[in-house]
Amino acid sequence: MRLTNIIAALVLLGLSATVLLGTWQLPYWADFAPGSSFTAFWVGIIGIVLALSLLVTAVMDDSTEPHSFPDRSGILRIVALTAGLWLLVLLIPPLGFVTASILFCLFLLLGIERRPIVPSLFTTVIVVGVVYGVFIAWLGIALPTGPLGI
Amino acid sequence: MDALASLANGFAIAMTPTNLLFVLIGVTLGQLIGALPGIGPSAGMALLLPVTFGLDPVTALVMLSGIMYGGMYGGTLTSVLVNVPGEAASVMTAIDGNQLAKQGRAGQALAVAAIGSFLAGIGSVTALVFLTPALSSFALNFSAPEYFLLALLGITATASLGTGSALKAMIGATLGLMIALIGTDPIQGTSRLTFGSLDLLEGIDFLPVAIGVFGIAEILVSMEQTQSGQVVRTRLKDMWLTGKDWAECRMAIVRGGFIGLLIGLMPGAGPTVAALLAYVVEKKASRHPEKFGHGALDGVAASESANNSAAHGAMIPMLALGIPGSASTAVLLAALVLLGIRPGPMLLTEQADLVWGLIASMFIGNVILLIMNLPLAPLFASVLRIPYSYLVAGILIVSLVGAYAISLSLFNVGLTLVFGMVGYLMIRADIPRAPLVLAVVLAPMMESALRQSLMLSEGSGVIFVQRPLSAVLALLVIGSLCLPLLSFLLARRAARRAGVAEALSHSPD
Repeated sequence: MRLTNIIAALVLLGLSATVLLGTWQLPYWADFAPGSSFTAFWVGIIGIVLALSLLVTAVMDDSTEPHSFPDRSGILRIVALTAGLWLLVLLIPPLGFVTASILFCLFLLLGIERRPIVPSLFTTVIVVGVVYGVFIAWLGIALPTGPLGI
Repeated sequence: MDALASLANGFAIAMTPTNLLFVLIGVTLGQLIGALPGIGPSAGMALLLPVTFGLDPVTALVMLSGIMYGGMYGGTLTSVLVNVPGEAASVMTAIDGNQLAKQGRAGQALAVAAIGSFLAGIGSVTALVFLTPALSSFALNFSAPEYFLLALLGITATASLGTGSALKAMIGATLGLMIALIGTDPIQGTSRLTFGSLDLLEGIDFLPVAIGVFGIAEILVSMEQTQSGQVVRTRLKDMWLTGKDWAECRMAIVRGGFIGLLIGLMPGAGPTVAALLAYVVEKKASRHPEKFGHGALDGVAASESANNSAAHGAMIPMLALGIPGSASTAVLLAALVLLGIRPGPMLLTEQADLVWGLIASMFIGNVILLIMNLPLAPLFASVLRIPYSYLVAGILIVSLVGAYAISLSLFNVGLTLVFGMVGYLMIRADIPRAPLVLAVVLAPMMESALRQSLMLSEGSGVIFVQRPLSAVLALLVIGSLCLPLLSFLLARRAARRAGVAEALSHSPD
């Protein structure tokens, strides 16, 4: 957990620096009122103080509490699922939301979860049916369509 | 009397066929979402918020709030029958509830949880009827400094009253403030932290953050390993409580209900803290504290009464002040804004039908949930036998469609995934996510109020302590910041004393 905390502190330090540098050119005080960078400045400062506090606490921590990240197979499952989700987003413009969703469901159930094919197909039909019924037919939301027209 | 007349009007609104149907849909979804491990009521509400876009505001809110308190009931099923809390507020129920299930008393544990949740829920909604108008009219005296301090208190209290590290909760809140800074400055209209992106000019919507940080992140955690759990079977005839069971639990329900209401009223604490505190108090008050952890029916009664009471109690500051007290009420507040309604003390006068219709729907929803959790509990328990992986596919797709539906842009879908990964890393780094979501919701109001206050005072910070009301709020903010420091120092002192005592006991003399 110690290393996780040190990394978290460094990430927060980086984000706080980005907030400060990203709003540096904006006015802190404009004539009679706080300017656009007023809040950003204080949020950045609070971020730095908290990051340093976490860093000092983590460096001084001598406990041996293990990190809570999963083992190798767990990480592989997470990476595969995340990759699948990003691929889904990339496939939506050329294939349409519904078709890309069908592919994602099958990838998740057959590829990652290794479930039997019939229940996986049945689940995919139900999921796509719910999306079509609720969002397209009932709410009238125009989801991106592909070459198949859905 | 005014409140009762308004409540009667609220019942007339809540009892229309459409609203009754959506109360039923909301509580049923809440019951299912609460029962599913890996997805809590806040996540469920965020995921299903886009479904309410075409609905009348009252109908949308009765459904969303139904998910919120329905989740409190549903979480019991998984805690008792699988020993996995369906949502965080059922953690304490899992300890004794599953022990009872192993002793063949699952039915009694579920029955006492349902009855306790119902009685505490009805008590809490009754308090809501009388406290909301009083607090709302009191809040009409608030001006910009009080609003800034109240929003700040909402964030700092989340950190100090939460269950984990206060420092990490503050970090969560700061991340939320950073997210809220992105976009166009609300007062001067200049772009901030957009780094040239046109998509970021309007800022980051609340929904991609909530769906990502709560929904996607929780699913990523649950996907780390194949879900498997033995579901203990329960039958309807096992759910009868004996006179002895009832005598053992009635005071636990009363105590749990009161603790839940008080904790729910405090900004930031929420149902999880309420359940924890009620369990600890009940263990101290119980005639048989040795049973706690090994199957104490009164432990289940106390924690379940407290979490449902707190879920309803958190509605009081949300409806009266526009300040959400928990992650779920933050989602509800965001729903109000998305439906074009301005939250705050004027809500009760400007949207009386909406507020009273919502409150009345909670009475109805709790009755429906009691029926669902007594005679229909075995039916809902059978849902737990569906392999989780089949549900994950549906939840993920609906989440992404919901994120797309907000602004019909794939950019929001990408943002949802980014926040999903951020939420996952936060869970693994033990950084609480509720303060982040609360900060995203409260930040716009907080920033406007802060800058307006400083504009009025020409830059002097004295404005925040000038009026008695703001001075009290400022003291509460300072108190909420000092509380974690004080408990840290006390814990260190206690640890040092324990270390000295241990060293003395090991010394040869």
